[in-house]
Amino acid sequence: MRKKSLLLSALAGVGLLASGSATAAETVKVGILHSLSGTMAISETSLKDVLLFTFDEINKSGGVMGKMIEPVVVDPASNWPLFAEKAEELLVKDKVSVVFGCWTSVSRKSVLPVFERYNGLLFYPVQYEGEELSKNIFYTAEAVNQQAIPAVDYMLGEGKKKFYLLGSDYVYPRTTNKILKQYLKMKGIPDDAIVEIYTPFGHQDYQTIVAEIKRFAAGGNATVISTLNGDTNVPFFKEFANAGLTSENCPVVSFSISEDEFRGLPAKELAGHLGCWTYFMSIRSPENTKFVGDFMEWIKAPKVTGVNYNVTGIDAKGRVTCSPMNLSRMGVYLWKQAVEKAGSFEVDKVRAAMYGQKFKGTAGEVTMQENHHLVNNVFIGETLASGQFKIIKTFNGVAAEPFSEKFLK
Amino acid sequence: MERQLFSVIHRVNSSLAVLVLAACWSAFILPSAAADGRSVLAEAVVTDDATRQIELVNQLAGATNEVVARALAAWRISELFLHETTDGVKVPFLLDPQKDAEDRQKGVRLVDGEPITDERGQPLAFATFELVPADTTSRLRRAIKTVLDLFAVANPNPRMRRDAVTKLGQERNPDLIPHLEARLETETDPHVTRALIEAIALTKTVNDDPAVRIAAIEELGTMRSLNGLMFLKDMEKEQHTPAGAAPQISAALRKSVLQIENHLWWGNLVGTAFRGFATAAVLLVAALGLAITFGLMGVINMAHGEIIMVGAYTAFVTQNIFKGWFGSSGLGFDSYFLVALVASFVVAASVGLILERGIIRFLYKRPLESLLATWGVSLVLQQVFRHIFGAANVQVDAPSFLSGSFAFNGSPIGFNRIFIIGFAVFIVFATWLLLTRTSLGLQIRAVMQNRAMAACVGVRTDRVNMMTFAFGSGLAGMAGACLSQIGNVGPSLGQNYIVDCFMIVVLGGVGNLVGTVSASMGVGVTNQLLEPWLGAVLGKIVVLSGIILFLQWRPSGLFATRSRSLDG
Repeated sequence: MRKKSLLLSALAGVGLLASGSATAAETVKVGILHSLSGTMAISETSLKDVLLFTFDEINKSGGVMGKMIEPVVVDPASNWPLFAEKAEELLVKDKVSVVFGCWTSVSRKSVLPVFERYNGLLFYPVQYEGEELSKNIFYTAEAVNQQAIPAVDYMLGEGKKKFYLLGSDYVYPRTTNKILKQYLKMKGIPDDAIVEIYTPFGHQDYQTIVAEIKRFAAGGNATVISTLNGDTNVPFFKEFANAGLTSENCPVVSFSISEDEFRGLPAKELAGHLGCWTYFMSIRSPENTKFVGDFMEWIKAPKVTGVNYNVTGIDAKGRVTCSPMNLSRMGVYLWKQAVEKAGSFEVDKVRAAMYGQKFKGTAGEVTMQENHHLVNNVFIGETLASGQFKIIKTFNGVAAEPFSEKFLK
Repeated sequence: MERQLFSVIHRVNSSLAVLVLAACWSAFILPSAAADGRSVLAEAVVTDDATRQIELVNQLAGATNEVVARALAAWRISELFLHETTDGVKVPFLLDPQKDAEDRQKGVRLVDGEPITDERGQPLAFATFELVPADTTSRLRRAIKTVLDLFAVANPNPRMRRDAVTKLGQERNPDLIPHLEARLETETDPHVTRALIEAIALTKTVNDDPAVRIAAIEELGTMRSLNGLMFLKDMEKEQHTPAGAAPQISAALRKSVLQIENHLWWGNLVGTAFRGFATAAVLLVAALGLAITFGLMGVINMAHGEIIMVGAYTAFVTQNIFKGWFGSSGLGFDSYFLVALVASFVVAASVGLILERGIIRFLYKRPLESLLATWGVSLVLQQVFRHIFGAANVQVDAPSFLSGSFAFNGSPIGFNRIFIIGFAVFIVFATWLLLTRTSLGLQIRAVMQNRAMAACVGVRTDRVNMMTFAFGSGLAGMAGACLSQIGNVGPSLGQNYIVDCFMIVVLGGVGNLVGTVSASMGVGVTNQLLEPWLGAVLGKIVVLSGIILFLQWRPSGLFATRSRSLDG
């Protein structure tokens, strides 16, 4: 009896092993760590969608080194400590080869020690404040010198002399504005021509601030650099437009509004103001036309080719593409190329192969530098009432530099 | 003929001799070409020398051709493209807005409006990614902007004219004075005229003649020019250096700066007071419904915020219906808001009615359970709206009579804020009338003071409770329609207001409408007074701490009411 059961379990074990290795030969597990519920879901769900789309794209053309990508999607629910738990689950339990994820800096900071402890690999796709570098994270995201600095340079070039730095009260705006202030001083803008103001999350009453901006802009050549986050932009822009301020007499450059956020904002009030990203949906390139077209086609009947994964919860209404989505997708392709160059899924080998990896993306060619950030093209776009951006200025091949002391010299 | 001329020019690009020749030739043989400026612009686009480019663009100042204005604007935003012919000549062109079946657009040559053709004379069509935009530098874009502003000085829209004139004045470029003075003679709009006088005076402050400068400085002071203040202050700073000192100019500057600052001080005072009242009105509008349901009836209604949300979404739906009927502007569309106010009252009151009948009437004696139940209702309502309208915020457009503002001494006074202040006064008055001048009001007060006794004398307390709760909810719904004009409309809208609402009602003294009015006034005005000094974050902290301390001192709020229903 006992012998039999032992034999049985041994058999079962072999069977399991066999079936395990059979799937392992065909697929490679890849983690997606984006909030699908809670406050950040509205932004992060789009990234999960575009990642699944990219996996499907790659699987259709033969996978990574002949292996199909098998997505492992977890939901950290906009809860920062849960991000760390879910990251650990992906790395230890699911043993994924790579993870694509995180939106807010605080979520990234929360998973960073986990990735370093288990020597995992994370690709981070959303503009951030820099001052960080981990050997286990590749930042396809825009660093400060790929977004804030070019935007300010553009404004200085347009003859702007007074800068009103307005942001939500948390780490990204505070760090970015600290860097910008130093940069502006370096460019010869006096202290009294720079104002730095923060408002709490969910602030509704922008009367005082707008009245102040109106006075500030009275002498001309003023601009607002906004790092306001999420839906506080609605009361701000409504008040701004009502006070008779326009993009003509005081343009606003917003760093947190991409095409995706634009869907929930008052288009009429925002038209004419500026955005700065490394990708816009309106970019003219055959690659982008194909990406946008294929993605719009895919969301109607979403699936991941080659693996048994059921895609659910995709809203096909009024979808757009935006920079974090494009950077997410590019991360997957860069990882695929590095894996194929290294001939292995091992993190250390992939990392070594990643440096210098080039990819011709939708907005031109990018290169992964040894500082784990990209060389990418930067665009200044003017918002249109249609929710798209009209590109008015391009900075080619801007190399991201995460540490501000290097470009503030 | 013209085309030949241009290919010649392109080849011996930037040769001044040819240009002079061309200019003479155009002047004699092709007068129209010289007048319309298209050739000058085309030349500027293909010139490699940046300084020469700016010279050419500046030559276009005062041109009147519509196509030149459009092409300049297009060039500035990289929508003017270059086509290189087989013999290496670059031809600037604009896109024909019409797209063909393959999404390609034809090119229209800037010089003569003819289509771009290939060697065989067939018109070329371009796909968007094949286009090569003509590049610009920031200096060039600024030069273009000035020329475009000069175009805009003749714009039929007075607002655009005023903006353009203001900006030209800030450049303080003496070359622009003739253009501005010419416009001043024909201008009829008083705002634009003022802007023109201001711009001319501002430009004259850099005149070489001290007498002209003093006159200009005094002019700016007399007209209380806010746009000029910064420039005058800068000039005053220069006066402190030994090189710039000139006693007469100094005195004029000091006087003008003082005049303008004094003017601005009054503006700030009125502006701050107005903003304080506006914030108070928002709080009052949002909290008045709760003052009825919580204050008078004693129901701890955690779903109050969501009933506000119901009202806001009703405004959104009404707006969409009117958009379908009348399009998205005009009088028909604008009237949606008045309908929305009524509709949001009706819809929210019905939701309140259902809530009262379905849940709350069983919990009048159990305040803690009603707290939990209404909190549950609030979560359910949020999810229902998230399911119907999506998790993203929706857009409620302001009707034209609620957009815009006028300036009082430089402080913006928004029409939507004026409306909310007026609306707050109106609903407080209406509520007061209802409570003191109608039989329902009498019954409400009777039930509130002593339910058992009211029932004994024949008041149908059940029905009165139902009506009161529905009325309070209806007020919350109207608040939602109002708030849709100044902020977000989304499933979490209620969460933004619920804490403030309870705070106002408790601070004012539960069960007292006068208390609610005074509390919202106090909080609103204090908030706006503190914000310029302390910033939005610290300001809010100070106000909240103040309220906590006040409630420590007077736990029953500003106006304590004693009633049996409240004593339990």
